[in-house]
Amino acid sequence: MLRWRQAGLNYINYSQISAKLVRHALKADLQADAEKRDQTNVKFVQWKDGKPLSK
Amino acid sequence: MLCQGIKFLTLTAAQQQQTQQRGMATLKSISIRLKSVKNIQKITQSMKMVSAAKYNRAERDLKQAKPLGQGSKIFYEQAEVTPVEGDTNKLMVAVTSDRGLCGAVHTGISRNIRDTLLANASERENTKIVCIGEKSRAILQRLFAKNILFVATEVGRKPPTFNDAAKITIELMNSGYSFGSGKIIFNRFRSVVSYVIDELPLYSKQSVTSASKISLYDSLDNDVIQSYLEFSLASMLFYSMKEGACSEQSSRMTAMDNASKNAGEMIDSLTLTFNRTRQAVITRELIEIISGAAALE
Repeated sequence: MLRWRQAGLNYINYSQISAKLVRHALKADLQADAEKRDQTNVKFVQWKDGKPLSK
Repeated sequence: MLCQGIKFLTLTAAQQQQTQQRGMATLKSISIRLKSVKNIQKITQSMKMVSAAKYNRAERDLKQAKPLGQGSKIFYEQAEVTPVEGDTNKLMVAVTSDRGLCGAVHTGISRNIRDTLLANASERENTKIVCIGEKSRAILQRLFAKNILFVATEVGRKPPTFNDAAKITIELMNSGYSFGSGKIIFNRFRSVVSYVIDELPLYSKQSVTSASKISLYDSLDNDVIQSYLEFSLASMLFYSMKEGACSEQSSRMTAMDNASKNAGEMIDSLTLTFNRTRQAVITRELIEIISGAAALE
């Protein structure tokens, strides 16, 4: 069993953290560009029994 | 009060008819119409320019994302993964966006899902749908509201990032829905003027471990397969979102180009009628003046 999985992470979390660290290690001029790729905009609405659950 | 209002309305309507018969109001209404069509043309033209710029970027991004999706697909093909028998739970991921005005990009995806689900009643019972983008949600909720697992919104305003795909994957894994097999349905970009509906397969961990040719791949243990499945789900989602975004922008470009062209035709014919009507009004006024003068002699 891998350590990070024992800690309750899945591979996606693990790779996201690794990616963040790599971006931080970049030089300042490249970092600004890389930060842009780090953004997320997606939001979620859960559905149950044919209706959206209000937040 | 109401009676008065009605009286006033009928009075103005009568007046309008009178002025319209004289041809003055039509001139005015044509010029208003002309102006609004011109404004619409300006909007569609600028939308075309915007989506052309976005399309260029999306195509560049797509080239980089392609290996991610193709790689996972080829893994499933090489290992000859088939869904486990008996597990009837299925998943369908509809990759669309929040934005319209781009031809049949979103309706095509939704129609594909609708047709497969309507053709088979047992699939309709056991399939859950994940909608990426409001457009597929709006179409699919009318028929399959009970099948929708969750909806991802705020897609399409900016180009999709890997983190977006990763977030959707995490949401999917946290939803607690276990599926035996599934499909990601998306528009595959072919050229500026064409796209086709394509699908990527999704399988459960069990079906991968029991695949007939899994031994082709070396040093696979439980952890590796688990991690790879998580990653391949995210990367296939990412790839399909990139393909979808690219097709959407290219399709919006053509749609807006056609809209501008049609608006141009409308403007031409409206200008023609406008000039004709104006000429008719001038002629009529001249006749009135001349005949008036002739009557005085």
